[in-house]
Amino acid sequence: MRTKLAVVIIGVILLLAAVPVWAHHAFSAEFDVNRPLTLRGTLTKWEMINPHSWFHIDVKGPDGKVAEWMIEGGSPNTLIRLGVTKYTVKVGTELIIEAYQAKEGTNKAVGRNFVLPDGTRLFLSLNGSVPGTPGGNPEK
Amino acid sequence: MNHRFPASISMLAAVTAVVLLVATPVFGQASSSAPKAAPAAKKWTAKTPDGQPDLQGFWTNSTYTPLQRPNGVTKELYTAEEAAQIEKQAAERESEQTTPGTIADVHYDFTQFGLDRNQSTHASNMRTSLIVDPPDGKLPPVTPEGQKRQADRAAERRRMGATTDAVQNMPVGTRCIIMAGSGPPMMPAGYNSNYQIVQAPGYVMILTEMIHDVRIVPLDGRPQLPQNVRQWIGSSRGRWEGNTLVVETTNFNGKNPFQNASDDIRVTERFTRVDANTIDYRFTVEDEKTWARPWTAVLPIKKSVGPIFEHACHEGNYGVRNTLAGARAEEKRAAEAAAKNGSK
Repeated sequence: MRTKLAVVIIGVILLLAAVPVWAHHAFSAEFDVNRPLTLRGTLTKWEMINPHSWFHIDVKGPDGKVAEWMIEGGSPNTLIRLGVTKYTVKVGTELIIEAYQAKEGTNKAVGRNFVLPDGTRLFLSLNGSVPGTPGGNPEK
Repeated sequence: MNHRFPASISMLAAVTAVVLLVATPVFGQASSSAPKAAPAAKKWTAKTPDGQPDLQGFWTNSTYTPLQRPNGVTKELYTAEEAAQIEKQAAERESEQTTPGTIADVHYDFTQFGLDRNQSTHASNMRTSLIVDPPDGKLPPVTPEGQKRQADRAAERRRMGATTDAVQNMPVGTRCIIMAGSGPPMMPAGYNSNYQIVQAPGYVMILTEMIHDVRIVPLDGRPQLPQNVRQWIGSSRGRWEGNTLVVETTNFNGKNPFQNASDDIRVTERFTRVDANTIDYRFTVEDEKTWARPWTAVLPIKKSVGPIFEHACHEGNYGVRNTLAGARAEEKRAAEAAAKNGSK
């Protein structure tokens, strides 16, 4: 997918200034590219706050002990405008999150991909695949 | 500090944008579909109860059009087909801009969080750049004085050290002080590029979602603030010229210089409601200490979906703390490794 798109994009660069990543801050300074990890856990709290939302999840380790993790995501404002609410992902939902751990070394990470156990990616508002919400562009 | 933030900052203006036109057709409905020429717009005549031309409501200036014309592009307007193709490709690139295992991947996914511009209202148009004057669509050449000031500012940043050394070294946006949307000039913030305009007798209020800045513009002809009173968003004074709201802003504090301008930058904005869904927004920047000539950009502001949601940036800004803590942890690990090697 990404490779295919990359090929498509090559033609664009000739005509278009590169589209920037609109980051409020430097995520690569906060999180470590050398510490990728995949977390599977249960949502205990979703802080829909700015500038970035935070997902709290309980992750059960191989030894059965539960560790609390905080996962950073995007600003909730646009999601809310698109129809997403704090109930869209209910507390207790199991999530699989591909992430990079904080440089600090604590149980914090940035979530580069949020997936449900059945393989559904979260928050794909564009195609209305957010479970239980209208989703989609209000103009469409 | 990172490869991503400087890029976004420098592009903040470069891609920011939006567009508009007056002399050319306004392309009304934002969407990922091909822009269509709007029918001849009826003159917008709605007034507020006290008789001002009505600019009230919720608006966005989100756009894919860059501030400056891309290198290699020599015309002012794309064809409808070119514009549609370029926006489509920009949207595709926006949705897939990371490669796993690279610095660019250390980020949440914009598409998952609905932040790709094509997921929300944005203004499609055929302009190749927001800048309409100079005619080449580029910022005018920077004067020697401007070049020296930019070099001095860069040297001062180096002297202060890394952005992760102290919170004071971090960009003002990272610190939740101000972002591009507030202006003036009002530039797209990249996401959540939303505004609310409220008019009261004698005043126009502009609320910027990112990051919750309010500009109250008096219309009664009062003078600007004294020169020694300096503000992040300057001091704005407005007046009506026919149906156009003209706002002149000076008195910036110089801590967030727009396009590396001097403290004496003057911004003149012109808001003209052209139809129910569009405000023609154009601004002229004058700063003889930076550019040899004034320059002007044009962009549409489109009707959006309200309400404006609070963007209490500072309250939830765990990132500053985490970034500083991460830098200290890395330094500690490096020191421990050095000590270990030294003891061998």
